[in-house]
Amino acid sequence: MTLQPAILIPWLPALSAGLCGLCCVRKSWRRLAAPLTIGAIFASFLLAVLVSPAVKPFDPAEPDLAPHVVTLFSWIHVGDFRVDMAYFLDPLTLLMLMVVCGVGTLVAVYAAGYMAGDRGYARFFAGVSLFIFAMTTLVMADNLVLLYLGWEGVGLCSYLLIGFYYQKPSAVAAAKKAFIVNRIGDLGFALGIFLIYSTFHTVSLAEVLSLAHHVEEPTTAHLWIPFLLMLGAFGKSAQIPLYVWLPDAMEGPTPVSALIHAATMVTAGVYMIARLLPVFELSPYALPTVAIVGAVTALFAATIALCQYDLKRIYAYSTISQLGYMFLGVGVLSTVGGMFHLFTHAFFKALLFLTAGSVMHALAGQLDLRKISGLRTRMPITCLLMLFGCLALAGFPFTAGFFSKDLILADVLVRGLSLHQPLYTTLAVVGLVTAFLTAFYTFRLWFRVFLGPTRYELGDEHHAADGAHAAGHAADAHDIKIEHVHDAHEMPWLMNAPLVVLAVGALFAGLFCKSWLAGLVTQSSAAAAAAHSLHAHATLCGYDPHLAMEFISSAVAVLGIAAAAYFHWLNRPAADSVAARYRGLVSLLNHKYYVDEIYDALIVRPLRALGGLCFVLDRLIVEGLVALVGFLPRLLGLGLQPTQQGALQGYGLGMAAGIAILALLIALALGT
Amino acid sequence: MTQLDSYTLAHFLLTSFALFTLGMIGFLIRRNLIIMFLCTELMFQGVVIALVAFSRFHHNVTGQTFVIFVLTVAAAEAALALALVVLLFRRKATLDASAWSSLKG
Amino acid sequence: MNNTPPVVWILYAGSVLGALALYLIAPKPGPKLARLGGLLGAVTLGGVWLALARLLPDLGPDRAPFVYYYVFSAIAIVSAVRVITHVKPVYSALWFVMVVLASAGLLLTLDAPFMALAMVIIYAGAILVTYVFVIMLAADTGDSLNPDQSPEYERLAREPFAAIAAGFLLLAVLLSIPFSQPLVPNPKTASETDAKIIQSVLVQRPAQQLLKRLALDNANQVDLLAKDPSLNPQQLTNIERLGLDLFRSHPLGLELAGIILTVSLVGAVVLARQRINPNSDPH
Repeated sequence: MTLQPAILIPWLPALSAGLCGLCCVRKSWRRLAAPLTIGAIFASFLLAVLVSPAVKPFDPAEPDLAPHVVTLFSWIHVGDFRVDMAYFLDPLTLLMLMVVCGVGTLVAVYAAGYMAGDRGYARFFAGVSLFIFAMTTLVMADNLVLLYLGWEGVGLCSYLLIGFYYQKPSAVAAAKKAFIVNRIGDLGFALGIFLIYSTFHTVSLAEVLSLAHHVEEPTTAHLWIPFLLMLGAFGKSAQIPLYVWLPDAMEGPTPVSALIHAATMVTAGVYMIARLLPVFELSPYALPTVAIVGAVTALFAATIALCQYDLKRIYAYSTISQLGYMFLGVGVLSTVGGMFHLFTHAFFKALLFLTAGSVMHALAGQLDLRKISGLRTRMPITCLLMLFGCLALAGFPFTAGFFSKDLILADVLVRGLSLHQPLYTTLAVVGLVTAFLTAFYTFRLWFRVFLGPTRYELGDEHHAADGAHAAGHAADAHDIKIEHVHDAHEMPWLMNAPLVVLAVGALFAGLFCKSWLAGLVTQSSAAAAAAHSLHAHATLCGYDPHLAMEFISSAVAVLGIAAAAYFHWLNRPAADSVAARYRGLVSLLNHKYYVDEIYDALIVRPLRALGGLCFVLDRLIVEGLVALVGFLPRLLGLGLQPTQQGALQGYGLGMAAGIAILALLIALALGT
Repeated sequence: MTQLDSYTLAHFLLTSFALFTLGMIGFLIRRNLIIMFLCTELMFQGVVIALVAFSRFHHNVTGQTFVIFVLTVAAAEAALALALVVLLFRRKATLDASAWSSLKG
Repeated sequence: MNNTPPVVWILYAGSVLGALALYLIAPKPGPKLARLGGLLGAVTLGGVWLALARLLPDLGPDRAPFVYYYVFSAIAIVSAVRVITHVKPVYSALWFVMVVLASAGLLLTLDAPFMALAMVIIYAGAILVTYVFVIMLAADTGDSLNPDQSPEYERLAREPFAAIAAGFLLLAVLLSIPFSQPLVPNPKTASETDAKIIQSVLVQRPAQQLLKRLALDNANQVDLLAKDPSLNPQQLTNIERLGLDLFRSHPLGLELAGIILTVSLVGAVVLARQRINPNSDPH
């Protein structure tokens, strides 16, 4: 078995993207877009599985490129600078490919039903295919330039799909926000790549890793590289301070939120840090910074999620919070924990978003928690599926999220205890608090939506001309929807089937995949040799910290769920009275700590003012000069106009005079 | 064939230049299209004399051969130009060159 | 310019005076000064000739034929002035015939009899007849006897001052070149000698045949005439030289000339066939 078929993994979705674009041409071709996309992504998934036996472990200490690199063609070759369209496969790549293509397939199947009848049906699937192409390119890139191509590619697809309903001003604004905030991070990433090239004189991933691994005494440049790369990771993975785009990105269609803004693209930052771990180890402050930012983001986003009312926004903040966990994990060299959480999170967060999408679908776009209650009778399957997702997210014992979150927290604790650094112990406590909050807000949502008295208000999307739903309900393809157009209803099985697969993953992925995944990660460049040596001699009150942490986090999760059950199921008025007592805090959280407003005042307004100043300067000075330059020839022309009256002999006279003067000049020149 | 000295050549050139210049001036000052073309023939005359004089001066008969080509071009030009003049005259019933200044575009 | 020979200054003065004369002769509104201009022109031309004849070195009896030069040149220049100043197109054309005849005379003086005759036949005979035809076809019907009745565009010159100034400036500059220093013939450009051509191309041309063609069968006369260089069997006539040069050195030019004539013939027919209603200008 060779690695050669891996070349097709990115290019099948690319082909599908092109064909979906063609499908836009004829109305009758549009429905072909979904099968094309599903087929292409699933084929990529199968190919990833197919080549997996051929993938060899990779050790940056003794790099051997041949078994890992498949070259498609030489892309840029200038002097010593060489960039190939080549793919690098090690177990970490394989893991990411399976997550991306696997979740991608399921989401595409769901979207085939969800997006049915939308005018942009083919456009949507073209975007999804293109996204999978860019994402697989990102994770399979053999060099940093190609990785950056994929990085920007997923950013572009994210922009296109957030702005999918381009007639909605809020969607357009959200798309622009996502793009611009990502630019800030990507600038850092690009600078980091430049610095890597000028320091190591190569952009090849394997060579950079190997060189970074063998750096004895880091120079200033070495110290800067991880911080620049980190900026890119923070932007793409929505960490403080660049997280503001992700909640707004929920303006896109829900499958997009599930695939791009929960399961895959936003984890690119985590992947990048895990992949370039030897580079991040160059600076002693880099990984602690990552860990601190991750933990703070996790807590910060979880508190915001407590007081939001929009279903998808709660999940968006939850995603930011969970990404914080992942950063915390890789930040304490627990790459297994980070990647494990990435893996399980892909399952349960995709599941949660898709079930939220189902609710939204059933209630014609209604997402406000205050207006939804007791849907369990109307949507029993969705209710159950979302419950599984919530359990996993809350870290209920023996669900997927429980194992992965627990592994991260335990590794943090172990590091804190064994190195006797209060920093990491504090971070572990922050993580535990966040876990409690997570359980609380997750079940607050679930209890509110599905339990309690059945009462709901429909949204207005079936009236709005620009909503996907209006078109969806009008389509004759979906008979069920037309019958229930004004009432909540269960989803067809086309949409529920992928959810079931995801739910199975959310429940059992933790239990069964842990050792397999740990094997994959430790055989890749993300393997952190230093982390393992710590485990032996650290105890928490005489117990093994991993075991202790399992009990503690179980308790925390159950506590959180119980609290949510009391306030949002059994005794809802109590929640209101508590909220009334701490009105200031609730308002602060509901307004997301006013971060958007602060950014607006500190960054956007000054920039806009500067822009206005530049505009005025441009108008007055630059444009004035240009106009003057343009005006002078016109003035000259005005003077010369009388000579051009169209009379043949006038021109002839000019010619004769010219010849005479020229002859005179030549004669003078020759004579003297 | 006797030697043609430089001073004699200069005399012939004087006539040649005079005819050429007069033809040019005529082309510029006359407004009748036919006369304008006649003036170009006048310029040809000046050129012919210069060619033959130089041919004699340099002992090279090609100068005279070129006169044949000049005659050819003059004949072709006369045929085409006069056909065009007839067309223009039919359209505007005047031979005035300034009547066509609207062609300036 | 400090070593400019005096003859050049005379030519400059002549150019200025000639320009003035031509300006006076040119048709334009205002007082009729054409006769004064004519007088001034004639005086200028005569003065220039005299100055040239006096200032140039005496060149002996070899230059005797060039007396004709002055005659033909004067006729040519005066006729050319009339061509461009006459308000009647037909007269202009007839004066042009005069120019052609005079320049044919100049060519004869230059030992180019074939070209001289060809000029007369083609120019004066063919081209000018075409011109006269067109003038008659297209002429505005004015009173042919009274110049004031001819159309305005005949009577009024366009910007004569500027045109004449530019033209005579060019003339003065051009004249200064051959008269300020002696020109030197370029020996490299000289054609092959006649004897060489006869040896290489016309080997079948015995002297006897030539003489027979000239009907000179008397042996004594042959001896006598052999001393006359113009009857030297080793020398070609002008037309022979011209023909050999044309067909040996310029076959492509000859073909192209033929094509140009054919194309212009067809073009003239096509153009003249178009039917246009008078005054149907779309604009």
